[in-house]
Amino acid sequence: MIEKEKLKSYASKLMFDMKDEEYETLQREFDVILKQMELISLIDGIKDVEPLTFPFELEEAKFREDEVKDVISVDEALFNVKDKLHNQVKVPKVVE
Amino acid sequence: MRKIVIGLEVHCEARSLSKVFSTGKNEYSLEPNSNLSVVDLGFPGIMPVINKEALRKALMMSLALNCEVPEKIIFDRKNYFYPDLPKGYQITQMHKPVGINGYLMINVDGVDKRVDIHDIHLEEDTASLDHFGNYSLIDYNRSGIPLMEVVTEPTMNSVNEALGFLEALRKVFLYCEVSEARSDKGQMRCDVNISLMEENAKEFGTKVEIKNINSFNNVKLALEYEIKRQTEILDNGGKIIQETRRFDVDSLTTISMRNKVEAVDYKYFIEPNIPAIKLDKAWIDEIKASIPKLQFERVNIYMKEYGLSRYDANILVKEKENALYFEKCLTYGINPKSVANWINGVIMGHLNKYELGIRDIYVNEKMLVDLIKAVEDSTISVKQGKEVLYKALTEELVPTEIIKQSNMRQITDDDELRTLVIEIINDNKPMVDKYKSGKNILDFFVGQMMKKTKGQANPSKASQMFKEELDKS
Amino acid sequence: MENIQMNIIDIQKKIKLGEVTSDSLFKDSLNKANKYQDKYNCFVTLINTKEQVNNPNSLLNGIPYALKDNISTKGILTTASSNILSDYVPVYDATIYKKLKDSGAVLMGKTVLDELAMGGTGTTGHTGMVKNPWNSECLIGGSSSGSAAAVALGIVPFAIGSDTGDSIRKPAAFGGVVGYKPTYGRVSRYGLFAFASSLDHLGCFARSVEDVAIVMDTIKGHDEKDMTSLPDESVVYLDSINNDIRGRKLFYIKEICDRKRYENINDEELHKTLDNFYSVIDKCKEMGFVVEEVSFDETLLNAIYPTYISISCAEATSNNANLTGILYGPRSDAKKVNDMMFDARTKGFSELIKRRFVLGSYILQKENQEKLFFNSGRIRRMIVDKFNDLFKEYDGLILPASGGIAPKAGSDDLDKLSKRYLLLENHLAIGNFGGFPSITIPSGLVNDMPVAINITGRVKEDVVVLNMAKKIEDVLGCKNMIARGDK
Repeated sequence: MIEKEKLKSYASKLMFDMKDEEYETLQREFDVILKQMELISLIDGIKDVEPLTFPFELEEAKFREDEVKDVISVDEALFNVKDKLHNQVKVPKVVE
Repeated sequence: MRKIVIGLEVHCEARSLSKVFSTGKNEYSLEPNSNLSVVDLGFPGIMPVINKEALRKALMMSLALNCEVPEKIIFDRKNYFYPDLPKGYQITQMHKPVGINGYLMINVDGVDKRVDIHDIHLEEDTASLDHFGNYSLIDYNRSGIPLMEVVTEPTMNSVNEALGFLEALRKVFLYCEVSEARSDKGQMRCDVNISLMEENAKEFGTKVEIKNINSFNNVKLALEYEIKRQTEILDNGGKIIQETRRFDVDSLTTISMRNKVEAVDYKYFIEPNIPAIKLDKAWIDEIKASIPKLQFERVNIYMKEYGLSRYDANILVKEKENALYFEKCLTYGINPKSVANWINGVIMGHLNKYELGIRDIYVNEKMLVDLIKAVEDSTISVKQGKEVLYKALTEELVPTEIIKQSNMRQITDDDELRTLVIEIINDNKPMVDKYKSGKNILDFFVGQMMKKTKGQANPSKASQMFKEELDKS
Repeated sequence: MENIQMNIIDIQKKIKLGEVTSDSLFKDSLNKANKYQDKYNCFVTLINTKEQVNNPNSLLNGIPYALKDNISTKGILTTASSNILSDYVPVYDATIYKKLKDSGAVLMGKTVLDELAMGGTGTTGHTGMVKNPWNSECLIGGSSSGSAAAVALGIVPFAIGSDTGDSIRKPAAFGGVVGYKPTYGRVSRYGLFAFASSLDHLGCFARSVEDVAIVMDTIKGHDEKDMTSLPDESVVYLDSINNDIRGRKLFYIKEICDRKRYENINDEELHKTLDNFYSVIDKCKEMGFVVEEVSFDETLLNAIYPTYISISCAEATSNNANLTGILYGPRSDAKKVNDMMFDARTKGFSELIKRRFVLGSYILQKENQEKLFFNSGRIRRMIVDKFNDLFKEYDGLILPASGGIAPKAGSDDLDKLSKRYLLLENHLAIGNFGGFPSITIPSGLVNDMPVAINITGRVKEDVVVLNMAKKIEDVLGCKNMIARGDK
């Protein structure tokens, strides 16, 4: 079983924390899915298969011509921003 | 002696009208957040669409750097949280970049060197952050600007080689016209990694990465500092820690940011909103054909075929337009060496003085060649030629017209010249005596001749005749 | 029958005759929505002012409809039923919304979903659960819960939903309405809040296949803003749904619906549902379909659910990394920007969502990618390849949409059901793996609750799937069902 502390650190890398009991639920969920994935890894010939990342090959897909379009106004860009200054988004200091 | 091993990662923004995955404007603006499409802000529901022109430029760089181009174009997501990254991931290329296994030939201090390129990939730039007292401001204008990243193998062995590579790479960007490659505008930035290798060692030493250096001079300072720092550690029996450092412009030192233990896992995976697109072979061939002859190749031709010195050749290829100007001149049938002298002398002086490009000046290739020919067939003297060219450049006139209108000619006729020589000798008896007493004052007489003829006399011929006449009497 | 509850062509006839106006339709629709809101909770937002582009050439002109609240609508609150977007007002329109607007259709509300579309119960939206219009003690399923319920209640003739695993087709089954997930890329996803981009589809709910065809004819098509969208096709679905189907070949999978497998299970609803399915098969054969039972590698079928979970959670953790409170969404007064983002995400997501994100990011971790993420992609290909092979011989796959009727809320939720009859409950994700067009149509009632069958066809052959579905619908007699509400 994956340790709770590890799960906590994964969560914090995703920028959130969870309730304590949720980590326990998560441990159980991990257990189930990892067992299932273990079975999958035993399927005959699986290693020779190229993973499918798109539902099907889309031969007709095209690149876009280099055109400027649909540029939004500064007001629109910042419409939902809670804190702004000089037409920029204000956030607490970003420490490098 | 320890061997220095340097690898570089160079980011350069590509020039285009719109952004790499959106129709927002790829343009510098003083007005924050004014060049944006919703895609650049990572709003829920947005999707990337590849800009063909940005891709073309990245492919052109890939081919110019002798890279292998993939069959299909695939992008990946690099996942991490940072306030300048609105989507929480950057679209980049990890699995199948636009180029792999390439190289760039450079010349450092007269020695040819091959720098191996690991890969070149196309990605999107991030927003820019400005830091103030207890807050930071985000301007998203830069978000989504096409960025090409060239990653070298660790094949450079001195600071000079690293700088030579950077200069040469910058020239490739410029020659291919894919970017202005200006580091003062933040268009070109680089990460360096450096390690020291013990003599006779078989494996590289522990490498240190220095992130986000924004000028070539800072690359130099950072490398020099780092070599010194690492050497001292090793000399004292210490060990180099694998880590990421940054260059501090105030103290001119490098400062540790994080060590390998905390290395970030970017959880790369294929961008699912961009289907794998097969690259059309005809398009690739077309891009290949559009790549101009690059600096390194041109220098070699200039030296081998035209007999120029490396010094002169290097000046000519510094800007592609200058090289093209030079080559155009040659098509009018003229000695390459003298054209090189004229361009690298008067014309370069003029360009530097007024901060002009060679396409800004009035004197075109044909005009220059006609002028040089007038000098070479002794219609006018070299001195006159220089004056004419200077006048033509500053007053925007045709050099041959200046020669015609000012009745400029060179007196080369022997009889005419000899008459003048005798006149001058007769007018300057005291000086003749001085000459006879053994003083070498031939230059005085030549000077008088130039004064008298307003510079039209051929000075070497005149000098010869003065000697004959003076020695005769 | 009330005007708003008629099918689209009949409403249009009445509009043309002047017997009804789009204004009155809009008002009726809103009134119904308000009437049912407390009890069933279909909507996050109701649009109180009618806005319409007049497009007399469109069959949707003046027809009220609802959009799932994970579709971007400029100037209209769009929450994805999550606290992290509880006050987000988009500044741009999704392509599907634009197309519907241009057709003259009238948006009347944004419907509740499972938070961020990541769920199948209709219980996890930030404004509360959606209840089943046939029995409010039951779930409607999800994640397009409000859209399914709104159509089932007769509030609107059609509604838009999204489908990543079965999020249109399952709630359609539990709500007694038609739910259609077209071929991947047939409808532009631009403006759909992404859950798992390689599995996400937009589609629709209506009370007849004919109405689905009309809506599809409006919302399909290439979009330059979505590179994965398919090129335009010249066919009009509405004109083709009555084509002759005799000789069309369907198959069902023995390992999923063979009665023998379930002989020992004491579940009356399951058996009745299977009976219903086989009676549909008989009717199909009578109509001229060739229907055959096919055996399929059970190991692969059992891998559908974990594969779906792996791929969808992995993509979801990345797709939702934009939700940080910086450009939109709630902010805390933290003194450091990282703490601010941390607070926004900790408070903004429910615990279920967070668990899925942790799982997804674990799957993507460098050291786990090969075994978890890539193996899922490999299984996905093995399954899709097998179905494409079968589709060389057959025009479609026919299966029960679920192993039973809508489950009761609370004790016996869908997740538990998923484990019990794994294959019967989870096979719909095949349509997402391969991007196959897939439709759920009601096939009868079991214990007074609707059950449904699902037909899945060849990629890009939406027209064939709709045609077959329409012909089957004709003989089942379950068209235009309106939930009669609680007794």
